[in-house]
Amino acid sequence: MNIIDAADFLNDKAISKGIKVFDILGGISESTGVEVFEGKVQNTEISYGSGIGIRIFMDGKPGISFTEKLSSNSLNQAIEDAISNASITDSMEIELPEKKSIEEIDLKIYDSSINDVSFDDMIKLGMQLEKIAKNKDSRVENVPYLGVSKTEGYSVLRNSKGISYDRKSNSISAYIGVTASQGEQKKMGFYSNSYKSFSTFDPEFMSEQAVTRATELLGATSIKGAMYPIVFSNRISSSIISMFLSPFYGEAIQKGQSRLAGKVGEKIASDVLTLTIDPHIPGMPGSRYFDSEGVQTQKMDLVSQGKLNTYLYNLESAYKAKVEPNGFGSRSYSGKAGTGISNLFVNKGDSSLARLLRAYPECIYVTRLEGGSGCSAISGDISIGVQGFLYKNGIQIQPVEKITLSGNYFDLLHKIEDISSEYSDSYSSIKVPDILVNSMVISG
Amino acid sequence: MDTLKAARILEAGKSAGADFTEIFVEETRHSSISFSDKKVETATAGTEFGIGIRLIYGTDVLYASTSNEDIEYLIGIIVKLAKTRSISSQNQNLVLPDIIARIPSQNILIDPRTISQSQKLPILKIADQTARSLNGKIVQVNARAFDSVSDILIINSEGLYISDHRVHSRFTLSVTASDGKEIYTGTETPGAGKGFEFFETLNPIKLATSAGERALRMLSAGYIKGNKMPVVMGNGFGGVIFHEACGHPLETEAIRKKSSPFTGKLGSKIARDCLTAIDDGTIPNSWGSINVDDEGTKPEKTVLIENGVLKNYLSDRIGSKEVGVGLTGSARRESYIYAPVSRMRNTYIDNGKDTFEDMISSVEEGLYAMKMGGGSVNPATGEFNFAVEEGYVIRNGKISVPVRGATLIGKGHEILPLISMVGNDLEIAAGMCGAASGSIPVTVGQPSLKVDEILVGGR
Repeated sequence: MNIIDAADFLNDKAISKGIKVFDILGGISESTGVEVFEGKVQNTEISYGSGIGIRIFMDGKPGISFTEKLSSNSLNQAIEDAISNASITDSMEIELPEKKSIEEIDLKIYDSSINDVSFDDMIKLGMQLEKIAKNKDSRVENVPYLGVSKTEGYSVLRNSKGISYDRKSNSISAYIGVTASQGEQKKMGFYSNSYKSFSTFDPEFMSEQAVTRATELLGATSIKGAMYPIVFSNRISSSIISMFLSPFYGEAIQKGQSRLAGKVGEKIASDVLTLTIDPHIPGMPGSRYFDSEGVQTQKMDLVSQGKLNTYLYNLESAYKAKVEPNGFGSRSYSGKAGTGISNLFVNKGDSSLARLLRAYPECIYVTRLEGGSGCSAISGDISIGVQGFLYKNGIQIQPVEKITLSGNYFDLLHKIEDISSEYSDSYSSIKVPDILVNSMVISG
Repeated sequence: MDTLKAARILEAGKSAGADFTEIFVEETRHSSISFSDKKVETATAGTEFGIGIRLIYGTDVLYASTSNEDIEYLIGIIVKLAKTRSISSQNQNLVLPDIIARIPSQNILIDPRTISQSQKLPILKIADQTARSLNGKIVQVNARAFDSVSDILIINSEGLYISDHRVHSRFTLSVTASDGKEIYTGTETPGAGKGFEFFETLNPIKLATSAGERALRMLSAGYIKGNKMPVVMGNGFGGVIFHEACGHPLETEAIRKKSSPFTGKLGSKIARDCLTAIDDGTIPNSWGSINVDDEGTKPEKTVLIENGVLKNYLSDRIGSKEVGVGLTGSARRESYIYAPVSRMRNTYIDNGKDTFEDMISSVEEGLYAMKMGGGSVNPATGEFNFAVEEGYVIRNGKISVPVRGATLIGKGHEILPLISMVGNDLEIAAGMCGAASGSIPVTVGQPSLKVDEILVGGR
């Protein structure tokens, strides 16, 4: 059966089994794409997946189950699994949300023109990207990573209070990873982006970005370790913010796993930092009117001028904190509800990037982060390999590599001195400008 | 999937002009129970199901994955995929599947599907109580027990028709300590290719004590001053450095794109005599072992580096063809959603002759990285990074104060020749490895070893 029929089936079955509190989440994802290497289409993929999950509460005790087989046998099994799981968990009294009708405008997260993009179109773009990259600079060695794909997602949410919401989204993406070498040194430059329409792709620009990001780091050396002012490029500043989102989550606070516990109303960052969550911006990938537990989403300032205003809650953590849930339930059909954001912005400042780079006699402009394993959202520890450039008085002196950056995120927030007026062009639900931090430890 | 349906798909592949057609059918039953905040927080169970169809033209791949098993739909996808090909080879000699062969699987004593989730609860509760009783500074314990049972069919146009039964069980524990200001989490995450017997033989007291005491030690630890220095790496999960920095670039998936520092280096001396490294898919009931790889090839014990000389790559069907090496039984994928590529299984540096004491006493000023956290690598450039979960300063040949927040960075092919001493206390540890074909169970391992110089990030 299809996903809607499966949702109806589970809904009816749950009621007939006497289950009074439940919700059902179903999802379909479809993607098609190609990978190009050395003038050939190396991989072509079509993927279609669907699945549905049910979460029940029996005397407040949750039980979760899911299936990717949408037959009546499998769906019956899912109900039995959920009941059996609910028999062993401890209870958590939560109130599922009621149906709300609100005035919705088109969030522009689905564009039917993407349906018309054919494999041929994607192949042509891929070939073009590779050719442009290879001819751009004699130091380009290879384009080992290059792909174009389109994806479409559909989700349906039902609950025992009569909620029935669905959400449909799509996008088309391309990525290109270029290696360039000079002597023994090899660098990779990577660029990717997603759009709402195929015509927005600018292959010349994309390939040029990837090539520049590889070649600009050739000749990089390590530098002497010391304290430096750091400018985080808007290419990577959103990674820093997203690695450290969980301390804002109600569940982390309640479990003693956040250093922001007890800090609502207090200054947790410098005055220049304002973090805004806005789930209703047309064309942003995280836009939604309801979270994945059916709670209405809302615009809010999470941090205003350095002051923490609230935590982010799903149903369970809101219940525990005895506050209204504020729309941050995040869940897939196969698991427990966690917490997640829609669209998050670090508000722009007034300065240009150039001004950030000349704010100090010497600074490191970080354009690349190497992995995040040395960063812990719980402790706030940051210890990470970085690459970028040494600047003196606003002038680029040399590319740098083999250095690490260390500090603590919760200290870093207080040390933010300036924020630029430019977001990167990426199609992302987290938008962060370039950020100047007055001092961090560099080891080299 | 029955032979008739399979035959229709294989015929459709041939009509589409593919040299080779393969069908991968997977049904996996997952179950998981987690204990957190002194409560049984979640119990989940579910079924993952789908089919992956791969058509190969030369070394080009067309891949479709779907959870829809309707035969007309599947044939339809093949036709749609094939339309993207302007040239087809028409040289396939199709051998239709005949009788299914069951691959002998690991010895599984207790099928997790026959066990109620509640039987896993006692170990979670013991772990929670043990950790919390260590010290009042333990503020949170998250413990989770989960298992999966997969039934796989692999059918291809060369007449292969096999079934495989895969069972995995894992226990993950994180213990958080806080002194009111600082917070630190210690983890233990054992896993095995075993059934419920895995949980029966676990020692939750030992694991909880280990994770909890580490969190407490590190909570009050200082920071190391960053610099280049000699590093002695602890055994077991320390092997993640070899996995990231050398293992990934030794997969034919990286070699065939000429994007690995080890391209064209077979037979070359890339490390010192003391270093022998192995990727073994056959260790009985190990978390990273396989009965058969995801293309139907039997796994082997692959010697990657022998006494410092590069001996072999890890290959899949396409990599083997393009790079010109034999099949090593390393084609793996997370699930039917992914086409298989060459991946690691149980990857470890073999025992050497040095003792741990000799390594430590040979270092004047350096770092003892007792337990590693995770890490990652860019296979094209060899640039790796990884975190030290538990570290100690070595001073004047002796282990000194604990330090936290250390990261090791470098390039794999540059660090490899700097491994100068290898101990004889080999251990392997379970982890998940993410790459092009998804997230798969692997183990990493090594004896204690000494790297003469590596950049340690600190404050």
